[in-house]
Amino acid sequence: MLNEERVILMTRMAAYEKGEGRENVKIGNYFRSDYLAIQLLKAVVCAALVFVLVFGFYILYHFENFMEEIYDMDLIAFAQNVLIYFGATIVGYGVATYFACSWKYAQAKKSLKCYYHNLKKLNSLYNEMQ
Amino acid sequence: MTVLLEMKERLKLIYSKGEPFILPLAKFLLAFITFNTLNGRMGYMTQMDNVAVVLIGALTCSFLPTGAVVFFAALISLMHMYALSMEVALVGLGVYLVMYLLFFRFSPKDSLVVVVTPLLCVLKVPYVVPIAVGLVCGPMSVVSMICGVVVYYFYEAVIANASNIRTMGDDEALAKVQLMIESLIGNKAMVAVIVSFAVAVLVVYLIRRRSFDYSWTIAMIAGAMTEVVILLLADLLYDVNISVGGALLGSLLAIVIAKVVEFFRFCVDYSRTEKVQFEDDEYYYYVKAVPKMSVSMSTKTVKKINSQQARGAAGTRNGAPRQPARTSQPVRTTERGNGQGAASGRSVTTERAVSGRRGAEERSVNDRSMTAQRPLPGRGTGQERQMAGRGTTGRNPSGRGAQRPQGRSNVTIGRTVRQDTVENVMENASDDYEELY
Repeated sequence: MLNEERVILMTRMAAYEKGEGRENVKIGNYFRSDYLAIQLLKAVVCAALVFVLVFGFYILYHFENFMEEIYDMDLIAFAQNVLIYFGATIVGYGVATYFACSWKYAQAKKSLKCYYHNLKKLNSLYNEMQ
Repeated sequence: MTVLLEMKERLKLIYSKGEPFILPLAKFLLAFITFNTLNGRMGYMTQMDNVAVVLIGALTCSFLPTGAVVFFAALISLMHMYALSMEVALVGLGVYLVMYLLFFRFSPKDSLVVVVTPLLCVLKVPYVVPIAVGLVCGPMSVVSMICGVVVYYFYEAVIANASNIRTMGDDEALAKVQLMIESLIGNKAMVAVIVSFAVAVLVVYLIRRRSFDYSWTIAMIAGAMTEVVILLLADLLYDVNISVGGALLGSLLAIVIAKVVEFFRFCVDYSRTEKVQFEDDEYYYYVKAVPKMSVSMSTKTVKKINSQQARGAAGTRNGAPRQPARTSQPVRTTERGNGQGAASGRSVTTERAVSGRRGAEERSVNDRSMTAQRPLPGRGTGQERQMAGRGTTGRNPSGRGAQRPQGRSNVTIGRTVRQDTVENVMENASDDYEELY
């Protein structure tokens, strides 16, 4: 015998699992700290790559000046400056990633809570049938 | 309004029925328009500026995720840039990489926004983007929208500097790179548009999430005003050369389009708002419930009433004699094939309401009533066979107490049953019918 409520619930849950739920389930498999650590690691790698890329374009853009001043400039101070900018980029992007991923994790958990609630309800409906 | 709501319901119905075809078609069209626009605006590589290549790319995108459109568009643009100059392509690749690594990682599902933003900028309706994004997407979509704006201004810079780059020789590679970087980072108009669009998205998003009445309409008006004000301020302060009239007209158009979006996404009736208050052991609840606007959509359904049923039943009640089974297997097979349509009944067109909960209730009632009128499978088969036979011959099949059905003109005539088998079929069907009743 078909139970209309159960069918509706299962359809809704299947649609969720197929759509946004897939990503949320992946996120929900992690502890918050683990998820944030992985995302921060990715962010650090990405930010480092971007910094290298942008620094390369910066050198190309100021290439003539750079070549003229390279013999007069304090290379250690220049390297220090570059490292400071590098650190600032990494930290800035890391902080942004931390907040963004914390928000994403919270949203995913909230969504999964609703999903698990529906799962429990479905289970209870099955038990009622038996 | 009722007509519009009915139209909306119809569109929903059409979409739900044809989703497997409509979605790939929409992707195909989006990809086709995007690639064609790219070829039309840039078109430096003649091999890429070919309808066959565009069609192949668009067809590939039609069954891949939306992100494929972004990927192919980036690839095509890089090829055009490469045809113009390798240095330009290098800068383009750098821009794409920075966007992907730094920003696009946060909202990979918003690839549609990345594609649509430059497209609408080309079509001179860019003010729609922030309002639509604020209404439909979340705040993270700002990132995708900014990427789209950057891509548009980068293409514009390439197109504007194309003639200069062509005149430069191979020994001026550095100058080409510098020209492209300068035209990108020194573009104040781009910065002004990015700031105004980002603020507008946030304003629209924050207001439309509020629970006060007409929040969506207020959000879109506030968003449009924010855009215009920031752009005008940027024009005054930095002389970014933005047309005031264009911004105002564009914002008005954006509001109109946003109203269409609202109609499909958030169509509610504030006049029937209900405010309820209740409590449980832990909380007091202040609930505001705004009903969605819906209308009963009339759909035509063709109900087939088998005229033979009533006649046959009457015949049985009157004591019609049972006929012996004299049917051979081949004949049965032939008739089964022809009788599947069961088209020999009267066709009656009825209307039923299908909309929301009320529609569902009515539908279930209709279904019940229809089930009651529908013949049982076993019975139906026999009756249909009998009717088919009659329809074919156009005369009384048995001539044994059965009356000619009323409303003969509605009975389908013209089946392709062989004349010599019809009699046997009719007898067989009649026999089945008698057994069942």
